[in-house]
Amino acid sequence: MLRPPRNRVDRRAVRVWTIELLFLTVPVAAGAVAAYWIFTSHPVWLGVLTGGFAVLILGLALAAPHAYRRLNRWEVTDEAVYTRTGWFTHVWRVAPMSRIQTVDTERGPVKRLFGLADVTVTTASSAGAIKIEALDHELAAELAERLTAMTQATPGDAT
Amino acid sequence: MTAWRPLHRRSLAASAAMSTAIVVPVVAVLIRTLPHDWTVPARAGMIAGAAALIVAGVLVFDLLRLRTTAWRLTGERLELRSGIAFREHRSVPRDRIRSVDLTADPVRRVLGLTVVKIGTGEHASGERAMLTLDPLSRRDAEELRGVLLGEAGQEGRDVPPRDVPLAELDWSWLRLAPLTVWTVAGGALIAGLAYKPLDALGVDLFESGAAAELWRWVTTRPWPAIPLLLAVNVLVGLVGAVAVFATAWGRYRLEREPGGLRLSRGLLTTRSLTLEERRLRGVELVEPLLLRLGGGARVKAVAAGLRKKEENEADDVAMLTPPMPRAAAGRVAERIAGAPLPGPHHRTPPAPGSRTPPIPDPHVRSHARPDLRPHPRAARTRRLRATVMSTAFLSAAAAAATWSWSPPSPWNWAWTVPLLALPVTTWLAVDAARGLGHALGERHLVTRAGSVVRRTVALDRGGIVGWTVSESYFQRRLGLITVSATTAAGDGHYDVLDVGAQEGLGLAARAVPGLLGPFLGIPGPGDPGAGEPRAGEPGEGASPSEAPRAGAVRSGTPETGAPGSGARLTGLPDRPRTPPAGRPGP
Repeated sequence: MLRPPRNRVDRRAVRVWTIELLFLTVPVAAGAVAAYWIFTSHPVWLGVLTGGFAVLILGLALAAPHAYRRLNRWEVTDEAVYTRTGWFTHVWRVAPMSRIQTVDTERGPVKRLFGLADVTVTTASSAGAIKIEALDHELAAELAERLTAMTQATPGDAT
Repeated sequence: MTAWRPLHRRSLAASAAMSTAIVVPVVAVLIRTLPHDWTVPARAGMIAGAAALIVAGVLVFDLLRLRTTAWRLTGERLELRSGIAFREHRSVPRDRIRSVDLTADPVRRVLGLTVVKIGTGEHASGERAMLTLDPLSRRDAEELRGVLLGEAGQEGRDVPPRDVPLAELDWSWLRLAPLTVWTVAGGALIAGLAYKPLDALGVDLFESGAAAELWRWVTTRPWPAIPLLLAVNVLVGLVGAVAVFATAWGRYRLEREPGGLRLSRGLLTTRSLTLEERRLRGVELVEPLLLRLGGGARVKAVAAGLRKKEENEADDVAMLTPPMPRAAAGRVAERIAGAPLPGPHHRTPPAPGSRTPPIPDPHVRSHARPDLRPHPRAARTRRLRATVMSTAFLSAAAAAATWSWSPPSPWNWAWTVPLLALPVTTWLAVDAARGLGHALGERHLVTRAGSVVRRTVALDRGGIVGWTVSESYFQRRLGLITVSATTAAGDGHYDVLDVGAQEGLGLAARAVPGLLGPFLGIPGPGDPGAGEPRAGEPGEGASPSEAPRAGAVRSGTPETGAPGSGARLTGLPDRPRTPPAGRPGP
């Protein structure tokens, strides 16, 4: 079987993902509870259901980032970029250095707050983009620079 | 050739001829709608005036278009200026040009004109990805095509080519033409298409009572009527399919030119598509179910930067052959690939009466080709399970819907439909599993999948730009994975579906030596970090660069799962490869 890539994502990523997920789930949970309070005549079973739903998605928002960090790994060797992602479906991606076309770094607002960045590596394939998530931003910049240097060294248009 | 050049003036004649397509319906509508108390000369004058106005308008527009459009070919670029109200200047580097497509409909053919479409390989939709020169004279078009695609010398259209063609139309293939769903849709489809224009001319099928008459006839005497109608429907579809095949693929010819493939076809409207060989990443054998049952197949190119199919085109641009006997299609695929392919090879002798030249084939060395390796039984289990589960789910959902809404009577039985379809879906599942297969050719990775449309793809191993290995929850329990090779061409990725885990990884490692090999490890599933690369895995040549390296930019949080890798959090290669000690250049 494929061995896991060597590196885990930065520890701060857990906090970032938690915050990002809470941005999504808190309004939904609050909306559900508010809808229950305002629009219904407070039947007990629906209350239990709504409460359960709210607790479930908030719990997921708190738990998922830990699992996500455990599952997402990455590695860059002289020859290739290698990542593993996925929860129900495990996905391993490999792109050889010689076929990399562009290297992008991206920093969302929350990630910027925590000093993190994503690096996306694309190849000539429309299906071949590889994203390394939540790196320390200095490391991300260094990685992008290194990858760019390496890919510039290979001749041809990498198709 | 650096001066700006105009389009061809005879375009005006073509436009005038084309404008009849607008004039005729307008005249028809006018004849019906003009007040009947007008005198005949008044009506005739009115109609003639309208016709003249339309033709004049079209001519003026075309004249303006011709006067404002100019193109030139410089040493590096092809440039096009166009636009009457909105001026546009497009400029494409010559090395970006991927395809040159010449089209001539009957009117333009008579006038010796050709529309040239130049594919630029941009990932843009529709017109943006193309430069259209409408029209050039046939000679100019051929010359431009030759120059753009770096062809030595100029070839007239009627000069016989030097090579034996890769494929040429055999009219016996016509028997495969009706094997599409369109035949079954047949007459109904044509009636639907004809409804609008007829309606515009004032012939209303429903109001005229013809439809009502027909309906009455069908309901009073269903037994003779329904089979008869179905037969007429299929007959019309049959004639339609054969006619479409003949017009689209008449005079079909696929030949190899220096640096490219050239496909020319068309009985009335002639088309000629040139495909650069260096953009070719493989071939695909496509077998839709009906065609497959009839023993036919088509060959499609796996190429980078092909333009998208346009609305008025029946076929994918990458489609290189019409439906043809499977054995012949396999031979064509091999010739295009230029290497023996396992799988889409031919065991059966060529079909009787086939004019496709047999074996003496300079492109392909002939030796025994192994068949594709089948996939594990678990792949079949997975498909059958999915079929049964989805049938059960659909039935249950339909039953629940019936129970809660109690719809009118025939719908009470809706829940049986998925059950009744079960034999068909089961057959499809088993057939799909039987179709799965893969192999490594001399230069190609071959993978086959699909039942409703079976595709056998031979992907050039040099064209693989990465791997994606995925393992879903259900696959994990059955020990299967999907290995997909990403590439710049065609669909972007080609999958080896539901292959055994070890075999699939071995295949990927051998297909592109040194890429996946270093990442193959021994540890069992769910055991993160125990993996040291193993050099002896099927991927020959695990790279030596895998040795522990000390290029860490910072030593971050210690790893919990991976023993001994704490200091390697960043895992950056210490030294860039080719240029020594490299920061990126300026």
